[in-house]
Amino acid sequence: MGATLVTVSTDTQFVHLAWKDHEKELADVKYLMGADPTGEVSWLFGVYDENSGLALRGTFIISPDGTLFNSEVNFYNMGRNIDELMRKFKANLYLSRKANEGCPSKWKDEGDATLKPGPEMVGKVHEALNK
Amino acid sequence: MCDEMIQAQLGHMVPDFELDTYDPKIRNFGKFKLSENMAAGKWTILFFYPADFTFV
Repeated sequence: MGATLVTVSTDTQFVHLAWKDHEKELADVKYLMGADPTGEVSWLFGVYDENSGLALRGTFIISPDGTLFNSEVNFYNMGRNIDELMRKFKANLYLSRKANEGCPSKWKDEGDATLKPGPEMVGKVHEALNK
Repeated sequence: MCDEMIQAQLGHMVPDFELDTYDPKIRNFGKFKLSENMAAGKWTILFFYPADFTFV
């Protein structure tokens, strides 16, 4: 889909290899595993926890022109939903082509109803979503 | 930490960065550089998590 997925923790690439080989849950993993032992890249995205030296559960989507389109951070014990990540990625992909539209919360995929903000929509969002 | 550096902001250009990587597809180490991925016309999804050998 024209995207590179990189997982990042403050472990080294050597620990990534060891973990990948050891943990059967990771058997099908195909994405790049990024090493950020200095925490520099985690800091860049505001997810570096100085108390622990670890990265919080942050997810970021960057367009091919380098713009940060999406930013989401969960605390340590809150898991992420991969379907929601894909929904956001697809929505960002769509909106990068149609900047004057909006993807409502229930938007799932190309072809679903979008919103075109304008004077005629003020107070009529319900009608626009239920056409 | 890094007072002179700029942090990434929504809607703004992300400062370029580089990461050492392990690539399970080729079972080898490598590097990921944001500007190179951009030059290839690709989107980047970064997925931070606290630590290996824990419960992602």
